[in-house]
Amino acid sequence: MNQATGTQGDIASRFERLLGADAVIGDPERLQKYSIDGQSPETVLLPNNAEQIAAALKVANEENWSVVPFGGGTRQHVGRSVEGVDVVLSTDRLNQIDAYDPGDLTISLQAGATVSRVTAECAHHRQLLPIESFPGSTIGGALATASSGPLRAGFGGLRDFCIGISFITADGLSGRGGGRVVKNVAGYDLMKLMIGSYGSLGVITSANFKLFPSPQQTLTCVCQFDTLAEAFKFRDWLLKSPLSPISAEYIGPEAAEYLKDNQPRDPDDWDPEARITNDKRVWQVAVRFAGSDRALARSRSELGSRVVQEINPNDEVDFWNRLATFEQRLSSRHHNPMVFQLEVPPAESENALTAAHESASEYNFVAAIVGRATLGSFVVGFIPLAIDPPAVTQFAGAASALRGRLSKDCSAIVLRCPREAKQHFDVWGSTPTDTALMQKVKRALDPKGILNRGRFLVV
Amino acid sequence: MFSFGIASKLRKIVGSDAVLDRPEDLMLYEYDGSLARGAPRYVAFPQSTQHVSEIVKLANREGLAIVPRGAGTGLSGGSIARKGGIILAFARMNRILEIDVPNLRAIVQPGVVNLDLSNALMPHGFYFAPDPSSQKACTIGGNVAENSGGPHTLALGVTVNHITGLEVVLPDGKITQLGGKASSAAGYDLTGFFVGSEGTLGIATAITVKITRLPEAVATLLAIYNDVQDAANTVVALTSEGITPAAIEMLDGWTLRAVEAAVHAGYPLDSAAVLLIELEGLREVVDEQAEIVSQLCRRSGAREVKRARDDQERQLLWKGRKTAFGAIGRISPSYYVQDGVIPRTRIPETLRKIEEVSKKYSLTIGNIFHAGDGNLHPLILFDARNEEETRRTLDAGREILEFCIGVGGSITGEHGVGMEKQDLMCTLFSDSEREVMHRLRKAFNPDSVLNPQKVLPGARTCREAVAPGHSSVEAPVLAGAEQR
Repeated sequence: MNQATGTQGDIASRFERLLGADAVIGDPERLQKYSIDGQSPETVLLPNNAEQIAAALKVANEENWSVVPFGGGTRQHVGRSVEGVDVVLSTDRLNQIDAYDPGDLTISLQAGATVSRVTAECAHHRQLLPIESFPGSTIGGALATASSGPLRAGFGGLRDFCIGISFITADGLSGRGGGRVVKNVAGYDLMKLMIGSYGSLGVITSANFKLFPSPQQTLTCVCQFDTLAEAFKFRDWLLKSPLSPISAEYIGPEAAEYLKDNQPRDPDDWDPEARITNDKRVWQVAVRFAGSDRALARSRSELGSRVVQEINPNDEVDFWNRLATFEQRLSSRHHNPMVFQLEVPPAESENALTAAHESASEYNFVAAIVGRATLGSFVVGFIPLAIDPPAVTQFAGAASALRGRLSKDCSAIVLRCPREAKQHFDVWGSTPTDTALMQKVKRALDPKGILNRGRFLVV
Repeated sequence: MFSFGIASKLRKIVGSDAVLDRPEDLMLYEYDGSLARGAPRYVAFPQSTQHVSEIVKLANREGLAIVPRGAGTGLSGGSIARKGGIILAFARMNRILEIDVPNLRAIVQPGVVNLDLSNALMPHGFYFAPDPSSQKACTIGGNVAENSGGPHTLALGVTVNHITGLEVVLPDGKITQLGGKASSAAGYDLTGFFVGSEGTLGIATAITVKITRLPEAVATLLAIYNDVQDAANTVVALTSEGITPAAIEMLDGWTLRAVEAAVHAGYPLDSAAVLLIELEGLREVVDEQAEIVSQLCRRSGAREVKRARDDQERQLLWKGRKTAFGAIGRISPSYYVQDGVIPRTRIPETLRKIEEVSKKYSLTIGNIFHAGDGNLHPLILFDARNEEETRRTLDAGREILEFCIGVGGSITGEHGVGMEKQDLMCTLFSDSEREVMHRLRKAFNPDSVLNPQKVLPGARTCREAVAPGHSSVEAPVLAGAEQR
C-alpha cells in the first residue's frame, strides 16, 4: 500500500519551493478535478517544462512519494486501483506545438497539447495525424494508453507513426528515442517502449509524428449480415480483395444502438432490455475508402450488393467519431458497465466474439461489440442486465470466463469496471509477452516503483 | 587445452560438423559489409532454439562473448566479433515454420533469407514488405536486429512495422516469448522495443511477421534530369503535394553511369540524376497516379519520364538500383556507405553539402538515396590500402553525418549504429539519454555477454569524441577497411 511518508502540507510546500506557488494545487476543492478512479490526490503539480518535471520527479523519488502522470484525464479509469496518490503531475502547461513542417509531413508536439487542437491544425494544412481518442485527451495521454480507433486499419497505430519521443524517468533522467525524421534506427526504439506503458515508466514530455496527406474524399459503405459468421466471411473476402479500406469496422447487433445519435442519454432513463428485443438482429461491417472518384467507384463496384447503406458524406465524420468513442458512449449510458479491449489474431475474431457473448450471458451481462475487423482489435462492452444485475464478484467471473475461452496469443484487458470489482481479479489479464522481462524494464526506469504505484500489469 | 575444450563442448551441442575453430575457417567471419573487422574464436551453427540456449549458457560459464550473425551483409559492424568469443551463425536455422494466410502471418527461423520468404508467399498472393537491397542474401533475423528498411518501406514501413511476435533466447540462455500473432498485446511492447536492438538484448529464434497482399497493379517510372537539384526539388514537391508512392529512389549521374556499366538497366548515361518512382494499388488508381506524378516530375524539371512497359523492364530498373553497391565495387578498390537521414525538405541543400565535402576532401562521392524517406546513401570511394586516404574518407563521412544531425536528422536510417557510428551517438544523444538506454540494455543483458561494445558508446568514447582535435574514430574501423 501507500508508502508515502509526507503529509499533504509537507508535500505541497516542498513543491512550492521547488516550482513556485502557482505550479502547485493544494486546495481540496480544486484537487477533486484530478481524482484518480475515485481517489483524490494530496497535491497536483503543473510544471512549466520538462526540466521542472525532472526536478519534481527527483524529489518524489527521493521521498518515495507516489506519482500519477495526468494529461486530459480521459482514461484515468484504466488499470488497477493506484496505491495512494501523493502527487498528480499534470502536463497541462506543456501544450505547445514545438515545430510543424507541412512540407516535410512531420510535427513535434508537447505532451499536454490536446489531440483535437493538433488534428485541427493539421487539417488546416490538409494533413492528417490519425490519432483517435476521447474529447479532451492529450498527445501524452494518447501515447501512454496506446489509444487507437478505426483509422488504425489504414494508417497503423501510434507505434507505426510516432517517430520520436522524450520523457523523464521516475528518478528524473531525461530519456529520448528516435528523432524528427521518418526513418531512424539510431539507438533503442524507446517510442515502442513508452507507447502503451500507461505512465508506469516515465512521464512523456514531447513526441514527434509522421503525418499523412488528408484523403481528398472518402466513402463509407455499411454492409449487413444475418450472422456473425457471415460478417467475418465478408472480412475474409475483403482481405483477399485488392481493396485497401482505411477503416473496416465490425458492429455487433447490440452495439448499433450506441451509434445512432450524438446525445448519450442519462443512465437512469435507460432500459437496455427494451432495445435488444425491439431491434432486428443484424451484424454490420462499415468500410471506409479514400481516394479519387475512380478509386471510390471501383471500391463501390467490388462491394456490390453487400452494401445496404452509403453514409451521407456530411455525416461521415460523426459516424466514425461515434465508433471511435464507443467506450465512452456506452459507459455514459449505463451504471457499472465493464469494457474490454480485446486483441486477438485476426482469424480468431469470430471465436473470440462468440466467447464474449457466451461469457457475458453466463454472468448476467449483454455484450455490445465494435472493432477493427481486419486487425482483430475490438472494444467489448459488458452491460449489466437491469433485472438481476451481476454482483461484484460476477465481474471477475465474466472476465475469467472470457479469458478462459481465448488462445494464448490473445489479450483481454478490462479498461473499465466498477472500482469495487477490481479487487477481485486482475484487470490486465494474461499476455503472451514475458512479464519477468517487463518487470526488469520497469525497475530500470522506475527503481522504487513510484509511478502509478500498483496500477500497471507489472509493478 | 582450454580452447580445445570449448570447441568440443560446442560440438557436443550442435554436432561435429557445425563448429569452426581453425584460423583459416574463421577468417571469413571477421567481416561483414562494413569496414569493421574482428576475429571470433569459434563459429557455431545452431539448428534449433535449444542449441542457441545451450550455447549461450556455455558462453556465460566460460566468460565468452556471443555475436549473432545472419548473412553478414550488415553495413555497420553489427555482426563483428569485437571481443572474440563465439559467432552464432544462423545459416542452418533457415526454415519457414508456418504460413498462416487467414491470420496474415508467417513464422520463420532467423536464418530465412528475406527474398525466399517473399517467394514462398507469392503463390498465396502475399509477400514480406521490407525489401533491403541485399534481400537476395540477408536474413529475416538480421532484418529484425537492424530494423532494416529498403526502397519500398516508404509506404509500408520498416521491419518493426511488420513484426508481431518473437521467440527470444535471453543473454542467460532462457527461452522466452514476446508478443504473438495478435496485432498488439497487454503490457509493454517489448516486441517493438527488441526490433532494431542490434543483437544487444537477446537472440530472436522464431519470428512472427505480418504478410502483405501483392498489389493488383504496379507502375515504375524513371524520371530523368539534367540537374540533380531539380530531382531533389521533385521529391520535396511530391511530399508536400501529398503523393505517397510505394518508393522514390534517386541516383545521381556519376552513380547511374557506374551502375549502367555493370548492369545495363537502361539508365540514361548523359543525365545528372534519375528518380525511380514506383506506384502500387488498384489498376485504375495506379494509372491515374502515374499520370499525375509524371506531370509533376516534368513541371519540376525532368527532361523525360519513362514508364516501364512490362515486368521485365521493371525488374531491370530495380536490378540497377539494388545492385548499385556491387557495381561501385567494380570500379573502386573500397567504398564507404553512409546512411544519414534528413527532413525531406532539406534534400537540395544536403546534396550541395555533399558536393562541397567531396571537393574539400578530394574524394569521389556517389549519391544513391531512398529519397522519399530522406534517407541518404552517399558512397565515398577510396583505397583502403592508402592509410591517409582512408582517414580522409572517414573524416568526410563524419562531416556529412554531422551535417545531417545539424539539420535535425539522424546518423542512420536503416544500417544501424553497430561499431561504426558509436562515437556519433555521443553527438546525437545526451549523457542522460544514453544512460537511459544503458539501463535498459543492462536490464536485458547485464554482463554484456551478447554483442558487447556495440550501439552504445562507452563513457570514454564520448569524452574523447568531444575533445577538440581528437579523431574519435576507433582503431578497429581503420584497420578493417575492406578491399574489393
